[in-house]
Amino acid sequence: MPIVTIDDIQVEVEQGATILDAANKAGIWIPTLCHHPAVAPQATCRVCMVELDRGEWKQLVTACNYPVRRDITVSVSGENAVKARRGVMEFMLARAPDNEQLKAIARRMGVDSTPWPTVTVAQRDCILCGLCTAVCDEVLGLAAIGFSGRGVDRAVAAPFRQIPENCIACGACAAVCPVGTIQLRFHEDTDEIEISPFKARVKLRKCQQCGARIVSEPAVAEALKKVNVDWEKIRNLAKLCPKCRRIRAAESFVTAATETPTEK
Amino acid sequence: MMAPNSRQEAKTPMTEKTISRDELIEQIVDRYNGETGMLISMMQDLQTECGYLPAEDLRSLARRLDLPVSRLFAIATFYSSFRLAPKGLHEVTLCIGTVCYLKGAGRISEAICREFQVEPGGTTPDGLFSYLPVNCVGACAVAPVMIVNGEYYNAVTPESAMEVLRALPSEQEDEPDREEVAE
Amino acid sequence: MIAIANKHLAGPEQLEQLREELRGERNSSDKCVRVCIGPGCAAKGAGKLHDLFVQAVEETGADVKIEVKGVGCHGLCERGPIVIVQPGDIFYQRVEEPDVAEIFRETVLGGRVVERLLYDDPDTGAKVVRADEIPFYKAQKRVALAQNGVIDPGSIEDYISAGGYSALAKALTLEPEEIIRQVEQSGLRGRGGGGFVTGRKWRFCRQAAGDPKYVICNGDEGDPGAFMDRAIMEGNPHSVLEGMIIGAYAIGSSQGYIYVRNEYPLSVERLKRAIEQVRTLGLLGEDVLGSGFSFDIRINRGGGAFVCGESTALMASLEGRPGEPRAKYVHTVEHGLRDKPTNLNNVETWANVPVIIDRGSDWFASIGTEKSKGTKVFCLVGKIVNTGLVEVPMGITLRQIIQDIGGGVKDGKTFKAVQTGGPSGGCIPAEHLDVQVDFDELTQLGSMMGSGGMIVMDEDTCMVNVAKYFLNFLQDESCGKCTPCREGIAQMLAIVDRITHGEGRKGDVEKLEQLAELLEGTALCALGKTAANPVLSTIRYFRDEYDAHINEKRCPAKQCRGLFRYKIDPDECKACGICLKECPADAISGEKKVPHVIDQEKCTLCGTCWDKCPFSAVLKV
Repeated sequence: MPIVTIDDIQVEVEQGATILDAANKAGIWIPTLCHHPAVAPQATCRVCMVELDRGEWKQLVTACNYPVRRDITVSVSGENAVKARRGVMEFMLARAPDNEQLKAIARRMGVDSTPWPTVTVAQRDCILCGLCTAVCDEVLGLAAIGFSGRGVDRAVAAPFRQIPENCIACGACAAVCPVGTIQLRFHEDTDEIEISPFKARVKLRKCQQCGARIVSEPAVAEALKKVNVDWEKIRNLAKLCPKCRRIRAAESFVTAATETPTEK
Repeated sequence: MMAPNSRQEAKTPMTEKTISRDELIEQIVDRYNGETGMLISMMQDLQTECGYLPAEDLRSLARRLDLPVSRLFAIATFYSSFRLAPKGLHEVTLCIGTVCYLKGAGRISEAICREFQVEPGGTTPDGLFSYLPVNCVGACAVAPVMIVNGEYYNAVTPESAMEVLRALPSEQEDEPDREEVAE
Repeated sequence: MIAIANKHLAGPEQLEQLREELRGERNSSDKCVRVCIGPGCAAKGAGKLHDLFVQAVEETGADVKIEVKGVGCHGLCERGPIVIVQPGDIFYQRVEEPDVAEIFRETVLGGRVVERLLYDDPDTGAKVVRADEIPFYKAQKRVALAQNGVIDPGSIEDYISAGGYSALAKALTLEPEEIIRQVEQSGLRGRGGGGFVTGRKWRFCRQAAGDPKYVICNGDEGDPGAFMDRAIMEGNPHSVLEGMIIGAYAIGSSQGYIYVRNEYPLSVERLKRAIEQVRTLGLLGEDVLGSGFSFDIRINRGGGAFVCGESTALMASLEGRPGEPRAKYVHTVEHGLRDKPTNLNNVETWANVPVIIDRGSDWFASIGTEKSKGTKVFCLVGKIVNTGLVEVPMGITLRQIIQDIGGGVKDGKTFKAVQTGGPSGGCIPAEHLDVQVDFDELTQLGSMMGSGGMIVMDEDTCMVNVAKYFLNFLQDESCGKCTPCREGIAQMLAIVDRITHGEGRKGDVEKLEQLAELLEGTALCALGKTAANPVLSTIRYFRDEYDAHINEKRCPAKQCRGLFRYKIDPDECKACGICLKECPADAISGEKKVPHVIDQEKCTLCGTCWDKCPFSAVLKV
């Protein structure tokens, strides 16, 4: 198994693991924005740059997707790597200067401001990391949203910039968005959940028992689609929130114990 | 001057027969044995038939290939040659490659946009022509180059370009693929 | 022509037999009119000339066989349309429709030369009859372009008669490893700009694990000012096909793709037709020439994206996706198209392969410099007398290309710089004109050879504006996926734009250099990594222009509006009054017969007077 020497710490990793894996194992923090364990590495944000020492020359690479195939030496805290990461974050901050989540990550990196003016338009601070589109495609298999345009006009959008037709409002995109561009909105009057800014709005399932919000109706339908066995019990359980489900399950054990005759 | 807006039918220049939109999609998919890798070619064929990429047809194509519509939308908006809105009666391309640019293509482009109120990549308000500036058509020896409906005009100036465009006929003689088809 | 190549060839002997037949029908004394219908001449109406010649032959009723051929780009586009008459290789230039009748009557039928249509040396005025006597062609060495302008690109008979597919027949008798060894030994390096040793790439691909293997021809020639690949694809498509079939055999690939940019529909047509022809003959498809090796080629058109010239973006496009590049930590020869081993080469690279197999790696390696073997096709365009396509041995100097072949700068202006390597390249000034052109020398000067575009600039070109042009181009074409390229190019463009509008600030140049370094280290693909080259090279050699723009708000080349003044030349002014009338600021005064004057205080620097003056009496100062 290859050994990664990362800032003088040596760790052994699986063949094909990434430098980021090695860093995690070594307890070294590398900032990331477009990386998420649920989806394949994208290496689009470029904020995780580290310096690979190849002996004769050094090379800046992205930690999140560089595959370790033999023993390598990596510098995370070296001057070149720090400068590269800072430069990338400064671009991000120029794009979304008022975003608190972004600023928090920047601060942790030691970047407090950006020398650059805002020259590109970011829809609600979107930094185009691609996590939302990736999770909708790879994890949900729906790809309700995707990218449109190219270059500085690149944007996350639903097809034809209309309300995404097959969005099940599961909220996964909101969960992975690192800068809070995507938000869940609850409409109490109509029992609906909306994914902002895509305007997808669907009925929300509430617990039959206590009225707590569970998840969107289409998400349940989608999940049930993936269950091959048609069990009445599962359908019934899905009508309850987790808390009520536990109560119901406990009650059913008690009932079963009471009703079953014991053989003596 | 409208592109076929009939939801049901389209006249294909290739067969000269009137076929339904679904049949058109089927024909296109079969041409490439349904290979996903040929998606861009399929969309190019669709655009050749319809003059642009109608949203409904892209949805049908996506359904037929079992692909998410977002992927086709991404392709339609990534590549410059695709249009999501009907094009004009005439097609005007202006080369703004390095050599043409150095010889004044920038000013010609400005003049076109100003006089005809058209955005690069868009269509004039009256639908007379679509205007697309492109990065080099490979005829640098005769820069600047303007192409109208496939015909080359070389060494154009703002004046000569305007002359050509002002003279564009606003009605086409025969449009086999633009007839309104019943229902 | 009686012999037509439309029968399946079961083996190499039958190919040779066909070749004999075709050659038997062709005589060097045959009458033939070759009309160039390459991109430059076609744009000047050469298609019509071709038709007129065909008509003339039909109407003549002469009992002598006369052939009319539309041929590919000769290269001297400046003097197009070009018509060459055989026998005699008589080279006519700037031919117009009324000339057709005279050429036909005098030269084709009568064997006499039409003096006024011959090439005339701009310095001596001497008339030249044959192409190889023209200075433009004398210094060239046409290898990849050898048959351009000679054969009819739509005729496989012409190609075979000229020796085509003999390299393939030979290759099929060799071991794949031997072919790879020969290509590697020849020293051939990628002609698309990357310059990687071709034979070595083939070897890596052959050795990679995975099946099937793919070979790709990159015909996405996107550099503005470059049309070398177009000339080859349209002028001699079979050379590309032959190269690919040989390569596929050597690598062990059964499927090939030619990716042609969307803006070249004629290239697609010619290649398609050539593919049909070779399929018919059995030189492509199942059991190529009876060898047991099977290989087929499909053509894919681009959708209109410069970035698809990048190999991983091209492959994404071939998979039916947007052309977004991906990291190359794992090479495409191991995991490329559909994650399979893929070998991608440029059009010109493929076109050189049959030549190497035919004439030997030693012959190829005898041309060029130590590390850059063979020839290279360049597009010489811009402010040059002889605009066109040239092929020269590597190691020739820029001065030789621009002076001897190009005929020097147009209109008697002074040479300022030559831009090479497209948007990834840079500008080279006069002081370095004696640099040898090859893969490595130009890189050391801050540019690169790239795919072969050479744009000549003169004293009227503002170098800051050149940087702005390329940044604008790259901003348009960036895929937008990675932060540094998308944001960084926009930042650089914002700065350079300010500078060209007289809003430059102290420290702007340093900022540009900082951005350049950042992009080079952090961008995902070569587009982003090299995006700053045009900026860096213009800063390196023309720093004074940047300083003048920033510190003095002055454009020395007098190109950036608002950063230079207008003055009426009192010697040239005819006092016609047009400028006075047109001036939107009422800044011009003058009476009848008195030279007009511009009031510099009132002048808004709009340039209307300069535009409108019929006597060119308004000067930029």
